[in-house]
Amino acid sequence: MTAVKDEAALFAFAEFDPSAGERVGYSNYSYWRSTFRVFLKNKTAVFLLIVLGSILTFTFIQPLLPGQMNPTKIYTDPSTGMQFRNVSPGARFWFGTNSIGQDLWSRIWSGTRTSLAIGILVGLVEMFIGITYGALWGYVRSLDRALTEVFNVLDNVPTTIILMLLAYIMRPSFKTMVIAMCLTGWLGLARFVRNQIVIIRDREYNLASRCLGTPTRRIILKNLLPYLVSVIMLQTALAIPSTIGWEVFLTYIGLGLPVNIPSLGNLVNEGRLIMMSPELRYQLIFPTVVLSIITISFYVLGNAFSDASDPRNHV
Amino acid sequence: MNTAADREKLLEIRNLSVDFKVKGGVFTAVKGVSFDIYKGETFGLVGESGSGKTTIGRAIMRINDASSGQIFFKGRQINGRITRELDRVIMQSIQMIFQDPMASLNERAKVDYIVSEGLYNIGKAKNEEERRASVQKALLEVGLLPEFASRFPHEFSGGQRQRIGIARSLIMGPELVVADEPISALDVSIRAQVLNLLAELQRSMGLTYLFIAHDLSVVRFITDRIAVINKGEIVELAETEELFARPLHPYTRALLSAIPVPDPIMQRSKKLIRYDRGCHDYSVQGPTWREAKPGHFVLANDEELGRYRAALQADAALSES
Amino acid sequence: MNRGNPILSAGNLVVKFDLRGRILTAIRGASLDLYEGETLAIVGESGSGKSVFTKSFIGMLDTNGWIDSGSIIFEGEDIAKYHTEEQWLRVRGKKISMVFQDPMTALSPLRSVGKQIEETVVLHQGLSGKHAEYAAIELLERVGISDPAARYRQYPHEFSGGMRQRVVIAIAMACKPRILICDEPTTALDVTIQAQILSLIKALQRDFNFTTIYITHDLGVVADVADRVTVMYAGTIVERGTAEEVFYDPRHPYTWALLSSLPQLGVKGRPLYSISGTPPNLFNDIVGDAFAPRNPRALTIDFVERPPEFKVSETHFASTWLLDPRAPRVEPPAAIRSLREKYASSLAGHGTSRDAGKSKGSES
Repeated sequence: MTAVKDEAALFAFAEFDPSAGERVGYSNYSYWRSTFRVFLKNKTAVFLLIVLGSILTFTFIQPLLPGQMNPTKIYTDPSTGMQFRNVSPGARFWFGTNSIGQDLWSRIWSGTRTSLAIGILVGLVEMFIGITYGALWGYVRSLDRALTEVFNVLDNVPTTIILMLLAYIMRPSFKTMVIAMCLTGWLGLARFVRNQIVIIRDREYNLASRCLGTPTRRIILKNLLPYLVSVIMLQTALAIPSTIGWEVFLTYIGLGLPVNIPSLGNLVNEGRLIMMSPELRYQLIFPTVVLSIITISFYVLGNAFSDASDPRNHV
Repeated sequence: MNTAADREKLLEIRNLSVDFKVKGGVFTAVKGVSFDIYKGETFGLVGESGSGKTTIGRAIMRINDASSGQIFFKGRQINGRITRELDRVIMQSIQMIFQDPMASLNERAKVDYIVSEGLYNIGKAKNEEERRASVQKALLEVGLLPEFASRFPHEFSGGQRQRIGIARSLIMGPELVVADEPISALDVSIRAQVLNLLAELQRSMGLTYLFIAHDLSVVRFITDRIAVINKGEIVELAETEELFARPLHPYTRALLSAIPVPDPIMQRSKKLIRYDRGCHDYSVQGPTWREAKPGHFVLANDEELGRYRAALQADAALSES
Repeated sequence: MNRGNPILSAGNLVVKFDLRGRILTAIRGASLDLYEGETLAIVGESGSGKSVFTKSFIGMLDTNGWIDSGSIIFEGEDIAKYHTEEQWLRVRGKKISMVFQDPMTALSPLRSVGKQIEETVVLHQGLSGKHAEYAAIELLERVGISDPAARYRQYPHEFSGGMRQRVVIAIAMACKPRILICDEPTTALDVTIQAQILSLIKALQRDFNFTTIYITHDLGVVADVADRVTVMYAGTIVERGTAEEVFYDPRHPYTWALLSSLPQLGVKGRPLYSISGTPPNLFNDIVGDAFAPRNPRALTIDFVERPPEFKVSETHFASTWLLDPRAPRVEPPAAIRSLREKYASSLAGHGTSRDAGKSKGSES
């Protein structure tokens, strides 16, 4: 009996709710969640992120640890009254000392702090200038010709010359370094931003914004830049080791930071001078290793994040 | 039905030409096009790709510049340099619906921002509560649930996205809506939804549509008058049923015959008419825009016009018998 | 149309994709028989699985997709079991060819059109040098490209959309396939060009004697080309039959809805019949009939158990509980019933007795 009743019930009309069909959420794709998912799949990048993160944290907490020495102080042996020159790495001086008796361990961390500070500061300023220039260049058609000419002129002057000139004119200092590098480094990002914007500026959603009267500023901020995250991240991540590289170069040619401010550039340079004696090579090796790790990490991380934030990789 | 005399002209296009700079010269996408759109009607502009129909729509929206000719909205010229005040007025009065629902919404913005974007621009978004209420109202009007405001476009289907785009335009309270192939990129079963929505909104909000499309059979359902455009020139303009019943220009006839009908027996017995520019002999006299019959215009020279009029008369005689 | 044994038989195919860690079941058990020499149309909308279904016949699923279960019997072998590219290359491009929607992306912009056709000719016909060139030029001519010897040297961007699609068809024909799959071949083309391409494919089918599968959402195209029609929804086949059966006597509510909502059938001033809602999310398991939530005439059982295929005639089948003898009688919507008559009158505009295609005056 119940079987027949069930059957009758089964073959009766069901209640129809039109909004049920509407409610279907098509996907729960979240841009940032997918970005991090793809990024985390890259084991090398995650490893280097941890390494870089550790180095960064350490550079800032190092001075706060107990028993750290002053990076600029010249240490003398109380028993002999002589400076601790060129002492090999050991129990007292973990990384040894340099040719005038300064502790290399604290110098390296101090130097890393300085170089990173320059690198990050310059990176951020370059990001700002590069995005602004590139966005206006790419989006505002009336400015296209003018900005292209300016760009070409600046691009054609070798960075080396500009940096050398500026460092020579304004005497070498932290501020000088930052200003000089900001003036030259934004070109790459500006061009990438401009190219990307030229590609997406005539897409329908941007036309729609124009029809709605959205001002250029908001179109750039809300319609265009969010699509450039990939490009911007890459350029900025690469700018940091590049800046440190320029700093090393300028130090090499004598236009870097004054010797009393430790920086990776100074340290590498000092180490280079005594490279020939095998027992003193540690003075070159330590700063070079730190510099290499930082450079490689930023490079790999920049690329990994840039790839991860490209929606085409969000499968 | 209003007579032609007492219908208000909302949009007038006079000899509009649009040129594009291309490698090696200039490409004329629109060649001296003229037509009027009356208040409250749905005007169809039908052509194939490259015909210039989208360019006309964009020229009206001031996305593309008109190279020559004039566009009048409610009697005021809106192409070329205009005052900021007029710019503001037409921004609210004329809005556009785009073709591709996948490309016409900002993927990185919430539906909330997308729909109310225009309000920010005309200063109507100051009061957050009011703004949210406007968004809710707009979403409901297009048949979407208000809870959708906090989501991103990728969470929705093509039809729903298209409706978000419609809500975005309507929230401005326009009088004229330029619909650029609004259903071409949608699935077949969704097209009906959107067409119904557009028809309903026209009734409730008193809208006037310029409906740009490439499919004559679809346009038949929604339009009052149709203009057929080929390679930058309008070749025929008539009321919808008149155009279907008595197409005059060979291009119109070829277009009609090429559209496949969803009926196997009928489709298979159809003969395909091909259009060849060579069928016109304009060596002696070039074509101009003529009125073959009240309300039915065609691009023809004297000789062709004579033939068309004769055909119309023959047809009229037949219907009466 | 001769019957006999099918040349291709898909049995209960299930295809899944791994999308960002979640499994999407694109095809949920679909079966298909293809007979020699016929033209079969697979109709469906986005998400129906029509493209994925045919791509699985030639091993062209994306890297994150796979055939989970089911069989595809072709020339005595179950090609669903193929794992390696090597195995698929015996079939793909050789015995089963595919023409895609966008001719722009199907052709390489860097090589001349002739070279691209030649490549396939060399591969499949074993010709070389001048012979291959002549074969390629002949193919260009066959697909209706005038002055083929000159156009042989040109690059894809020098061709219009319709011409490019002809080139793509030529490449597909180079191996003289048994089956040609056309995936929305004319959707990106103008309507006048579309008509030409469709008649080209018909002509080639007569001359080269192959079987065609059309994948499309355009019911007009289906009416033009198809002998048999298969309707897909949410990864399953909901109805199949001859073109006349499906157009004039549809049985599944989705087919009713699809046919009723055609704007060509609309009456101005009255709303078009439209299906509410959106197709289901295929990430989730679907219980019962996938179309039920959007079907105003759904039965309770539609939400409980998936309907089996019911027979309407030797050639006509539909998967809907409405065909179960225990189900109540439901009439198709009025629009469907008068489909035929509506067409006859709406197209001619006046006088249905005259041929619908004839126009007044002369045709130039």
